[in-house]
Amino acid sequence: MKHLKLYHIPIAYMLVYVVAILATGMWLFLLSQGLGSSDIVQTLTQIATLPEPKSIHNFIEVATPHMFAMGTLIFVVAHFMLFSTKFSQKFSLIVSLLLFVVALLNISAYLFISLGVVVSGWIKLLSLGLFVLLFLLLLCMVAFSL
Amino acid sequence: MVGVSVALFFYLGLDVVLHGYVLGSDLTSITNTLYGNVEEFIEPILIDTLLLQVHIDLFMSLFSIMIIASIYIRLYSDKRVTKWLVHTLFILGLLAPLFLIVAYFTSIPFVYVWLMCFSLGHFLGMGLSLLIIKKLLFK
Repeated sequence: MKHLKLYHIPIAYMLVYVVAILATGMWLFLLSQGLGSSDIVQTLTQIATLPEPKSIHNFIEVATPHMFAMGTLIFVVAHFMLFSTKFSQKFSLIVSLLLFVVALLNISAYLFISLGVVVSGWIKLLSLGLFVLLFLLLLCMVAFSL
Repeated sequence: MVGVSVALFFYLGLDVVLHGYVLGSDLTSITNTLYGNVEEFIEPILIDTLLLQVHIDLFMSLFSIMIIASIYIRLYSDKRVTKWLVHTLFILGLLAPLFLIVAYFTSIPFVYVWLMCFSLGHFLGMGLSLLIIKKLLFK
């Protein structure tokens, strides 16, 4: 990145913080699905076959802060790619837009389950996995651009 | 920039008060919250509740520290100590929530470490906010 020097420090720490936020977020999700009483493979199988039922009230309670937090976090991380000289703007734009779409899908996945549109939880697992992988890719891109 | 620094100064102060209400304001009440107390029939805090607090703390710390550090770097980039103050602020902000989880799963010594990281991080953040306000108002 050009002309930044000391600003490299906050950007570098931001990457670590985001990884910690993603890790605690996934841990929280798995706990809500029964991780405390079974192992991780069993919990993942349970989410895929029969996820824990949630009411619309529960969904809105979780979705509302996440809409704000995920949107802001992706925006802040992605905007650093504007200063990158190592990745093309087009590629950064595609990754960022995909991340926004997958984040929205990840948040709304439980709505489909709550409304009975889908019975299994594969959509939640798939969107969560894609979201984490894409976010890690964006973080790596920012890290390589430093 | 003065406005956001004043807001963050009060945010950091109130965050200390909030954690005092949620986890306890002295060592006895913090250990009662984290580990419970059989004699007083107090159940330990649920891991879900504590993890949610840590998850929120990490998010809020990231944004508050990023804003304070960015303005501080802009105003004090010529000072040598700036680099180390920013490093310290980010490290304390990251370690505080992590040590809270470690303290929950281990023992009281880590409560002291959490307390130290949490207090120092917040007071350093408030100090840097004051320095920013001072520089901007009394140039």
